[in-house]
Amino acid sequence: MKVRRLFIGALGVMALASVTVFGASSSAASAGSSAKAAKAACKGSIAIEAPFATGPAIPQGLEQLHFAELAVAMFNKANGTSFTLGQDDTGLNPALATTRTNAIIASKALAVVGPSGSQEVEAVGPLLAAAGMAAVSPSATLPALTTSGANKTFFRVVPDDNVQGPDDAHYIIKHKLAPAGSTILIIDDQEAYSQGITAVMIPILQAAGFTVNHQSYNGADTGATLNSDMSSLVTSQVTATTKVIILPWQSGGNAELFAQTLAQQGKTATLFGTDGTNSPSQFVAPGTYVSAFGPDISTNKSALDKSLVKGVAKYGPYGPFGVPTWEATTIVLDAIDSVCKAGKTPSRANVLAAVRKTNIPASQSDLGLPVKFAPNGNLAGSPGFLFHINAKGKYVEIPDK
Amino acid sequence: MQIFIQTLVSGIVTGCLYALIALGYSMVYGVLKLLNFAHGDLYMIGAFVGYFSIQWFGGAAALVIPVPLLVIFMFLVAGLGVGALGVAIERFAYRPLRNAPRIAPLITALGISFILEDSVLLLFGGFQRSYDTPAFIPFTQAIHIDGVNIDSVQIMVVVVSVAMMYGLTQLVNRTLFGKSMRAVASDREAAEMLGINVDRTIALTFFIGSAMAGVAGVMAGLANEQITNIIGFLAGLKAFTAAVVGGIGSIPGAMIGGLVIGLCEAFSSSYVSSQYSDLIVFAILIATMLIRPQGVFGQPPLQKV
Amino acid sequence: MAPIGVDEWVARSGDRREESRWRALLTRVDERVGWWPRLGILALVGFIYGHLGLNVNEQDVAFNAVLYAILALGLNIVVGWAGLLDLGYIAFFGLGAYGYALFSSHAFGSLVLDTGGVHLPAVATIPIVLVAAGIVGVAVGLVALRLSGDYLAIVTLFLGQAFAEVVNNVDPSVLGGSNGLFALDRFHSFGGQITSTLGYYYVAVIVLIVLMAALHMLDRSRTGRAWRAVRDDPLAAQVMTIPVNAVKVMAFSFGAIVAALAGTIFAAQQDSVFATNFSANVLILIYACLVLGGAGGIAGAVLGGIVVTVAQDLLTSPLDSAYLFYGLILIVLFARVRPWRYLAAVIPAIVGLGFAAHAIVGAISHTAVAGSPGSVGWIGSALRHYVIVPANSLTYGNILYVVMIVALIAVVQLKGVRRLIAVVPTVYIAICCWEARLTVDPGITAQIMIGAILIVIMGARPQGLLGTRRVEIV
Repeated sequence: MKVRRLFIGALGVMALASVTVFGASSSAASAGSSAKAAKAACKGSIAIEAPFATGPAIPQGLEQLHFAELAVAMFNKANGTSFTLGQDDTGLNPALATTRTNAIIASKALAVVGPSGSQEVEAVGPLLAAAGMAAVSPSATLPALTTSGANKTFFRVVPDDNVQGPDDAHYIIKHKLAPAGSTILIIDDQEAYSQGITAVMIPILQAAGFTVNHQSYNGADTGATLNSDMSSLVTSQVTATTKVIILPWQSGGNAELFAQTLAQQGKTATLFGTDGTNSPSQFVAPGTYVSAFGPDISTNKSALDKSLVKGVAKYGPYGPFGVPTWEATTIVLDAIDSVCKAGKTPSRANVLAAVRKTNIPASQSDLGLPVKFAPNGNLAGSPGFLFHINAKGKYVEIPDK
Repeated sequence: MQIFIQTLVSGIVTGCLYALIALGYSMVYGVLKLLNFAHGDLYMIGAFVGYFSIQWFGGAAALVIPVPLLVIFMFLVAGLGVGALGVAIERFAYRPLRNAPRIAPLITALGISFILEDSVLLLFGGFQRSYDTPAFIPFTQAIHIDGVNIDSVQIMVVVVSVAMMYGLTQLVNRTLFGKSMRAVASDREAAEMLGINVDRTIALTFFIGSAMAGVAGVMAGLANEQITNIIGFLAGLKAFTAAVVGGIGSIPGAMIGGLVIGLCEAFSSSYVSSQYSDLIVFAILIATMLIRPQGVFGQPPLQKV
Repeated sequence: MAPIGVDEWVARSGDRREESRWRALLTRVDERVGWWPRLGILALVGFIYGHLGLNVNEQDVAFNAVLYAILALGLNIVVGWAGLLDLGYIAFFGLGAYGYALFSSHAFGSLVLDTGGVHLPAVATIPIVLVAAGIVGVAVGLVALRLSGDYLAIVTLFLGQAFAEVVNNVDPSVLGGSNGLFALDRFHSFGGQITSTLGYYYVAVIVLIVLMAALHMLDRSRTGRAWRAVRDDPLAAQVMTIPVNAVKVMAFSFGAIVAALAGTIFAAQQDSVFATNFSANVLILIYACLVLGGAGGIAGAVLGGIVVTVAQDLLTSPLDSAYLFYGLILIVLFARVRPWRYLAAVIPAIVGLGFAAHAIVGAISHTAVAGSPGSVGWIGSALRHYVIVPANSLTYGNILYVVMIVALIAVVQLKGVRRLIAVVPTVYIAICCWEARLTVDPGITAQIMIGAILIVIMGARPQGLLGTRRVEIV
């Protein structure tokens, strides 16, 4: 019995030793491979940090992962490169993100796509800056990330919350979606994105003379609890004077559920969803307005968008998180490829410099406009699109914003 | 008043679903003294089985068979399928641990929960799926009283739940199997010595409990529409609370507990704040447990010296 | 039937007389080396490990391993020694972390303007946080007095959930809301600051060693005996004049203090705290650490913490994950297929079946074997002609996965020779499934593997790696 215990104790020590050995072998490999980066075919690896296996945002994380994989496959096929994508699940848990980021820094990855969550960027931004690795995030929208100065190598391909909130509020006011003096109900889902937009929109709406009813529900609820939340919100908060309901959520499915609960209880109001609810296959309530950061690729006729739609068809419906991830991944791969084309071996430093100089013309980006970064990492220019869902449930782009 | 009745309806529907899952929890706990944390995931699998049944028959918008037939088919397949899965899990994971300290099967149950949730993720992808019930059971088929809407799905959920609970009570109190189940729950070794086939009784208990969870899953899909691979965790937690509040091991307790939790949730979300509704439910439950530590219908734990 | 009570030494005395020379030698060394020298060796190993020139990832894993070892030790006091099922333990961890954060950031000043706040040195903050945690632990313990067993579990579970909810939803200007508190002060005192993960690793190792020593002495003291008595039979303990209520409250309190200590170190190393750091996932992990290692023993808790953390890290790297998978298959085969001649038949059968199947299917249809194994490195190349992986392997992989699960369940049901025969195709199907499907989504596979490891270890050794078998009188 004691011998068995000893044996097991030895197993534990061996486990520790194995981590050292494997870690050492991977760091040794990193020294080797960058020295022999082929001139003929540009090679390298990047990593994606998204919550695709654990945590409360698995659908969104998986969508990001699939679009990133598609981007790598498309880029490799079009340019004859052989880039690989390492997958790092963060589960929206900043401590886990820190561990994964340290693993990425210790590996031979050249740049990072992500992290997806603003909290995660807060935790790992300084680490990536210290390692000199570029991190291009498709969904971290907290404004402070680029103003605090702690995340010097962080870039994002979506505007931050301070842009979308006022845009949407001003549209509501300007186009009189609600009669003056009526109540606007705004419901947040207790996530950072939602709370940020809500905090920005409420003062603007109040200044325009509306009564704002601010409610919230737990966005991580599922199943029966979620239904119960929707049901009670509609029952008790949607009154006769509520004409517009704003849903700054990150799930098109939940928004659709809310719309159906409204219909089931026989109430009507105009719904306004922010970009997180943009999902042409899931959120289809007629008469709704949905804002977005890019055109609807399922209806766009360009060859690029058609190949995107075809590439992810086998994964099911997608929402607003996939396309920016595709964009972010392509930006990173472009940067590495440009370093290769200049005849140099890709390293983290020169990839970072190349990312800073990103300048993709509108025809090659699926965001509908050219992609450039401001010095602090924000997207230069702020794309904003607004869709109105027609009676057949189709997204129709509204040109004036 | 209208808000009150609407909230009441919503609470009863949710409560019935929790009660069905809680019944499975209570039954399994009764015979094995095991907290089966994977039970909620069986409910999730039932919901997925129902979803794929709809897809198999043409999808929500274009069904090829009449709706009542579809619903019966879903119940049968989910019930039998999830029941069989529950029996397999018991045989595979819990039987070797019959005599182990109680914390070991707890960890095994957590392991099974991981596997169930992530297998669904692996096989079917992680995007949110919707039953899209209004497409084949339109809202117009409902009762409208005085501004309160009760739709047919909600009525069906309550009717089926009550029928199943009644059936279960009859099974436990009137049949031979029910008697052997109660005997095994009371004292496993004595039951074995009296000639009761303990293994088969436990397997059948798991079957019935899991089948009920599976049917609850289908009804949850019809009523709540959104299904993902993690709906089981939260529902299982609430159902576990319901079982405990009602007195774990007791079948009427699980039913009452489920209804209480469902109503608490609905009323605290509607009347107080949906932001803190979870906390309010916790507070009510903790207060209940402090007042009556063994639950509403539970028995005070026997102290054997 | 398991023996009543705990006396494996006597039960195995018969085996010991027939032990081989090496086993006897090891047993003698093990019996002679006392507890304190072993602790010294562990401390030495801990310090030497830090000097091995680790890269950032290894430092991170090492720190996490020690942190979870500390957490498992604290949980051991409540669950292993006192026998109270505390499912809200994570709240104390969070309390420690947030407590430290409140005193080391702008939380008491203005979070919006990023100014003000209380900034105490670590030597002042930590005692305050520990005392606060102790008080909360006493409060929870008082609640626990009325409840027993599984009822206690549910109430503590909700207290744990309530903590995460409150912290997430309270006004963001007070506790940071879902954005958490960040840019915390690090441990600083006597003019120095600890800023690197390696520094915190050493701090954690020191804390672990001191804690193990303290808990060992506690275990040997009257309090430890009182806890064990209360766990085994509260009524008898009460009859023997042990103050059961006080003992239970003390257990909660001590567990809370240990968790809070871990929380402060965690907050300082992370330099931030968020509500999502204290979710149910983390609680499950800590429980897995404790139970896998062997609840009821200090060494078990520490080993469990280290093993689970290292395993988690291994699982996230595809190559290491493959090693773990194949290693697990080999271990299960070696441990369960007895006598040796059967094993000598089964393993070549598996190998032969694989190559034969690949050749036959390849001859029939070229696309059916056009894909390549998902594993990287030498494993992938070795299995090139062994596994059947078609070009578009998603649907095939899914079906194979379901078949694998069914086959596994069937293998467990069968007995004797039929089981041995069934094992051969099952293992081959498992390997094909791994190469075709499970390597495509390593994140999801890691979670499945964690579940599988939990089930396998609990099935094989319910008392944990270093635990002792006990029989509960229910």
